[in-house]
Amino acid sequence: MASRWVKSPFPKGTYYFSGNEAAAEGAIAAGCRFYAGYPITPSSELMERMAVRLNEIGGVFIQMEDEIASISAVIGASWAGARAMTATSGPGFSLMQESIGYAAFTETPCVIIDVQRAGPCTGQATKVGSGDIMQAKWGSHGDYQVIALSPWSSQEMYDLTLRAFNLSEQYRVPAMVMADEAIGHLRETIRVAAKVEVWDRKKKKGGAPFDIEGEDGVPPMPSFGEGERLSVTGSTHDAYGFRKTDDPKAHARLVERINKKILNHKRSIIETEDYLLEDAEMAVVAYGFTARTSLYAVKRMRKDGTKVGMLRLKTLWPFPDEAVAEIGKKVKKIIVPEMNLGQVAGEVKKYVPCDVISLSQTNGEVIQPDTIMEMLRKI
Amino acid sequence: MTGIKQVRLSGFGGQGVVLAGLLLGQAGVFDGKYISGSNSYGAQARGSGCKSEIVFSDGPVDFPHLTTADILIAMSQGAYNSYCGDVREESGLILYDQGLVTPKENLRVRHLGIPATDVSVKRLKNKQAANIVFLGVLIEATRIVSPGAIRKAISTHVSERFRSLNLKALRTGMELGRKAHG
Repeated sequence: MASRWVKSPFPKGTYYFSGNEAAAEGAIAAGCRFYAGYPITPSSELMERMAVRLNEIGGVFIQMEDEIASISAVIGASWAGARAMTATSGPGFSLMQESIGYAAFTETPCVIIDVQRAGPCTGQATKVGSGDIMQAKWGSHGDYQVIALSPWSSQEMYDLTLRAFNLSEQYRVPAMVMADEAIGHLRETIRVAAKVEVWDRKKKKGGAPFDIEGEDGVPPMPSFGEGERLSVTGSTHDAYGFRKTDDPKAHARLVERINKKILNHKRSIIETEDYLLEDAEMAVVAYGFTARTSLYAVKRMRKDGTKVGMLRLKTLWPFPDEAVAEIGKKVKKIIVPEMNLGQVAGEVKKYVPCDVISLSQTNGEVIQPDTIMEMLRKI
Repeated sequence: MTGIKQVRLSGFGGQGVVLAGLLLGQAGVFDGKYISGSNSYGAQARGSGCKSEIVFSDGPVDFPHLTTADILIAMSQGAYNSYCGDVREESGLILYDQGLVTPKENLRVRHLGIPATDVSVKRLKNKQAANIVFLGVLIEATRIVSPGAIRKAISTHVSERFRSLNLKALRTGMELGRKAHG
């Protein structure tokens, strides 16, 4: 298993892309050649661009009858050897949860982009929200891990979609890009490099596709058609894919491994960024679009002499527990602004001894800098 | 935070506010600026009040949405009424459609009235080109982007069928801008 540098399929240069368009280009750069989806606001431009681009470069694009079929087709394509993805928003993400559990348990690399909107249910289709953060981790039943990244710019819709593919291939796990309407529709200057780093899934002739090979806990993955005997099942299985639905050891071994293969590598998976935290007495912990607002607010407050900094979560799952715990030791108060009723604030509370204040907003609009500054002044 | 300019284009859905914003942002990118652009989305972009907001910066932009407009383009009375109070006093600039907007008298912001829709209908024989006439005026009055960059943006994003009309609208706007600004 290794990475290699390939020529970017999109010419090196500076572009003016919306987040959704940038994510499509990031996927293409990562080697994605299969897209199955069902259009949904506010993610549809991503699907539109994939339809055009996959046609241009000779990939497969299918509009499915719904999101259940979409994620299922993506899983099938992945087992046929393709780097495959889908994109959706809350209601579609809900429909996909059963198959995301299937992908996690069968260790199928795939990428899901959720351009979050104001939920629950159909909610406000054209409005922003980030209420799917917990669903990304806990949406399917049983104990499993996923990787979920949080872009804060059009540039990162490109970069983190590319990274999601790489992590997904490297660890054989569903990887999600938890975008939101404001980022999906934000048009920004983005830079595309001449070469991109791409990870290939591990291959080993005759290797056991569902057991430990080497120390990383990620087994090799054959594709259908390569001549290997291969059975893929969502029921508990042994190293070669045979169903073991009565064997307590086989179940424990498999469930533990698919969790450990992610958690044991969380230090290489998790990315966070510190801003102005060296001497901070208060910290804002933020992610996605709201981290942009927070950085603006933090810089303003610094000008007024307030000792405040920001920890930005680029990775949401596995949760950046160590980075959060570290900040918790330094500051007296943490505020967590987010466009939901405190999903990440609750997670932050688990790892810090200091006060954690949840700044929630669920009105379908982005949090304004003034709202965060007001809260910082109040505490 | 230095070197940030914020532009709000506003009008009715259908007047080409979103396209004008796209072209302006793209031109900024061609000029090497950091751009963050956002616009009305959903039903409002298709008939009622519609806006497109572009933040121009020399470096990475923290908060990517507009906070206070340095420049407002108002293509309808409703848009003018909604946004004229949110333009930076003294240094700000409001461009409004003379035929469609009656400006307020007590604002401490420089105003330029432009007969954009009138010129678009009479001279360009297409009322849909007023948005690009405004871009021409804006560029002539402020040089927020270079004329070469906006021409390149039009060539990039406007289909061939309408390209010459839009380039002509741009020239017309720049002439009007020279007169009004001059």
